[in-house]
Amino acid sequence: MKELLIIAGIFLIISCEQKTKIDPTINPFLQEWSTPYQVPPFTAIKNEHYMPAFKKGMEENLAEIDLIVNNVETPTFSNTIEELERTGKLLSKVQRVFSNLSSSNTNPQLQELQLELSPMLSAHYDKIALNEDLFKRVDAVWNQRENLDLTKEQEKLLNDRHKQFVRSGALLNETEKKQITELNSKISQLSTEFGQNLLAETNGFELILNKSDLDGLSNDIISAASEAAFQKMNKVESETEKEKYKDKYVFTPHRSSMYPFLTESTRRDLREILYKSYIMRGDNNNETDNKKINAQIAKLRAERAKIMGYKTHAHFILEENMLKTPEEVYELLIQLWVPALERAKAEVADMQMVADNEGQNFKIAAWDWWQYSEKVRKEKYDLDESAIKPYMSLDNVIQGVFNTTNKLWGLNFKEIFDIDLYHPDARVWEVTDKDGSHLALFIGDYFTRSNKRGGAWMSSFKSQSNLDGSERPIVVNVCNFPAPVGDNPSLLSFENVVTLFHEFGHAMHGILTNVTYSSMAGTSGPRDFIELPSQLLEHWASEPEVLKSFAKHYETGESIPDELIEKILKASKFNQGFINTEYLAASLLDMDWHTISYTDPLKDSNEFEKVSLEKIGLIDEIAPRYRSTYFAHIFSGGYSSGYYSYVHAAVLDSDAFEAFKEAGDVFDPELSTKLRKTIYEKGATEEAMDLFVNFRGRKPIIAPLLKVRGLDGSSG
Amino acid sequence: MFFTSFTANCHNPEDFVISEIERGQLNFENEQIAAEYGAALKRQRIRRLNAMPWLKKIYIFIKAGFEHIIPEGLDHILFVLGLFFSSLKFRSLLIQVTAFTLAHSITLALAAIGLVKLQLSVVEPLIFLSIVWVALENTLFKQTTKWRPLIVFSFGLLHGLGFAALLTEYGLPKDSFISLLLAFNIGVELGQLAVLVIAFILVRAILINSKNKNKLKIPASIAIGSVGLFWFIESLI
Repeated sequence: MKELLIIAGIFLIISCEQKTKIDPTINPFLQEWSTPYQVPPFTAIKNEHYMPAFKKGMEENLAEIDLIVNNVETPTFSNTIEELERTGKLLSKVQRVFSNLSSSNTNPQLQELQLELSPMLSAHYDKIALNEDLFKRVDAVWNQRENLDLTKEQEKLLNDRHKQFVRSGALLNETEKKQITELNSKISQLSTEFGQNLLAETNGFELILNKSDLDGLSNDIISAASEAAFQKMNKVESETEKEKYKDKYVFTPHRSSMYPFLTESTRRDLREILYKSYIMRGDNNNETDNKKINAQIAKLRAERAKIMGYKTHAHFILEENMLKTPEEVYELLIQLWVPALERAKAEVADMQMVADNEGQNFKIAAWDWWQYSEKVRKEKYDLDESAIKPYMSLDNVIQGVFNTTNKLWGLNFKEIFDIDLYHPDARVWEVTDKDGSHLALFIGDYFTRSNKRGGAWMSSFKSQSNLDGSERPIVVNVCNFPAPVGDNPSLLSFENVVTLFHEFGHAMHGILTNVTYSSMAGTSGPRDFIELPSQLLEHWASEPEVLKSFAKHYETGESIPDELIEKILKASKFNQGFINTEYLAASLLDMDWHTISYTDPLKDSNEFEKVSLEKIGLIDEIAPRYRSTYFAHIFSGGYSSGYYSYVHAAVLDSDAFEAFKEAGDVFDPELSTKLRKTIYEKGATEEAMDLFVNFRGRKPIIAPLLKVRGLDGSSG
Repeated sequence: MFFTSFTANCHNPEDFVISEIERGQLNFENEQIAAEYGAALKRQRIRRLNAMPWLKKIYIFIKAGFEHIIPEGLDHILFVLGLFFSSLKFRSLLIQVTAFTLAHSITLALAAIGLVKLQLSVVEPLIFLSIVWVALENTLFKQTTKWRPLIVFSFGLLHGLGFAALLTEYGLPKDSFISLLLAFNIGVELGQLAVLVIAFILVRAILINSKNKNKLKIPASIAIGSVGLFWFIESLI
């Protein structure tokens, strides 16, 4: 019997499994989350839970709004503005999980839901934004704002709320309101059409090559192209179509397919074909042409701005930004444009020299840029990515960014292993402050996978607020770094390292935030400001002192050699003429499209673009980052008269980092604390320009950026 | 949150069109997603293991080894039972089980280091065949041959490769490789021992009124052999 007891004992130990605290019979969104730190109970959430939770969330949200509107007491800051902050908790709970997972760990059902939900949600938010009785209460509070004895933060919240209603048309008369609704629906229809056309144009072109056309291409690129052909072959039905792809190699105008081809292929004729297919998208005079659509969108936006009382669409948009007027934006862009173009011309000359030395008999064209700039890079900068990578194992880089914030602000990170997330590659750390108090949870989801969207981003599962007790956030970084092969660690390129620091900068903005109202927390500031906290942190990644501390060889443990660091820093100035010129040309094009007057006749897209680019003297060897017929950021996304934001934030971060350089210590304690208090903690509780001035003591200047990008004439 | 429809994302491809245009459509190949998930799971296990105190790690690997016999390793259970029924004499059983253990420990270690590598699709049918062989021998020969320990030893080598396939899936952290390999092996031995003890108790209970052990040996071996044969054929299809 003794043996039996022992065996029974062993079984007992084995079967002792952890019990989940979520009731599986109830939709997990509709119950309290008693999980540690209120992490969403990912393992309990299934596809079918979202829609009912969304519906319930919207219903609850409207009921809460009704309660505020029907309150018999006179409107006060607390019973109206503050109460609004408390609404929509369930909706936000499900929306945060859904929005995150449909990007980072999606599936066909979630994608379908996304299409279904998007119009439902915008109708829902419209209902609130256009609720006249609600606006009356907000307006009543706003009108007595002088006598309310509000804190600075409360005043900003009140102003923001009020402005939100006004910008949705609350002050317009009935006819105007109707016009705005019609314009909005027309614009949104055209935007969707623009995007769909572009998608069709991008997916519609393929360069199908034979084995004999692959000159210059490396094995990786060839096998990817062969795989692409194979997949296409599997997708088509008929035998003749299958024959078309059999044993062939396919390249497409997607950047991921086109850039490697343009860089490596020595077949100039094929480079030209692929490149032109890219820049002619939406400009092929077929049924998916975008030339009329973009011009119409621009015109309708101008009309809308006029009704809302603004001179142009750009004026309407910029009112919310750090740069307040088109004049300020143009001034910034032109200041950068001149040195960028000059540098680009020098780069063309460098490339022409390489081509001439090769005995080539052609003038460098746009489709030669990738190939010949790469040759210049090898010659001038001689930086071999594969020499850097062994020093950049993911774990070391994560430790590096943790240490950086530890030295800046005394933060500590402790990995938690017993919380189940949405994917086993997602990791979670508890972030604690100098004094040991809990600040946030940080989730890092770093490896690429087939059901994750491309690129890198920061988001959150829970926001910060001090309204009803202290709520600390759950912040996530998602990247697309290569997963490790076999037992080796994941090794990052230097570009990836910078991306990791960048996203972690956003995460810091979300983690250090310390505001009363969650709608103003963390990264909720204007578009031309929110890249400051992220881009700023990038600067530490290139500091030799910081690099040396974390970049250790994954096999030998040796620190990265000085000469390699030097090469990395030198190479960061490579091709900046091209990068800045194509970007600035697109930004200026964006501004031109959105400063047209409502009285202007409908523009001819190509003519308009030509005039716009000739005016600034863009050279033939470079096209704008996006031409008008495929500028989805501004015609189908939310960047209209906002594409300049990236470079504006770059001005801010270069100038802000210069403060540390001036102090002679990139971890200067006084400056670090100031940075935290004036920028990272503040969210959107003050005007962005004020935040910057509070830190820097003056308005931003562009000289530091020109130096960082090698546009100050120092490199050549 | 009020009525700004979820703006807390930075760089979130809120405009999916843009991301799709720049990078192409997402491609949902179930097989690939499953493979990626499996690899991620292994990485997660290793991360979690690395963070555990030493004793807990050892416990986990003993447990994994044990579970690989009971309840997951029916094929190994059958093989051990095959050995058990070949001889109810303690001494002979001890020799066989020791030979088996020694052998599978050797291949498990070799495979874990990466010196030996065999496809599971090859190893598995052979393991099933070894069950059939032992059962056959039990049925046909009255006495086990003197080569028996050697045969059992070579079968043990095979079974070790089977354990190794699971262990690689499980992931062995580099820094505590040897101790965890040992722990896993101990778990396997404990599982094996548990099978034998249970079998011993049951057989004693059944045979309490009977003197003839062979009465049980032959039908049991035929049963074991048939299952093994069935698995073998199934694994080839």
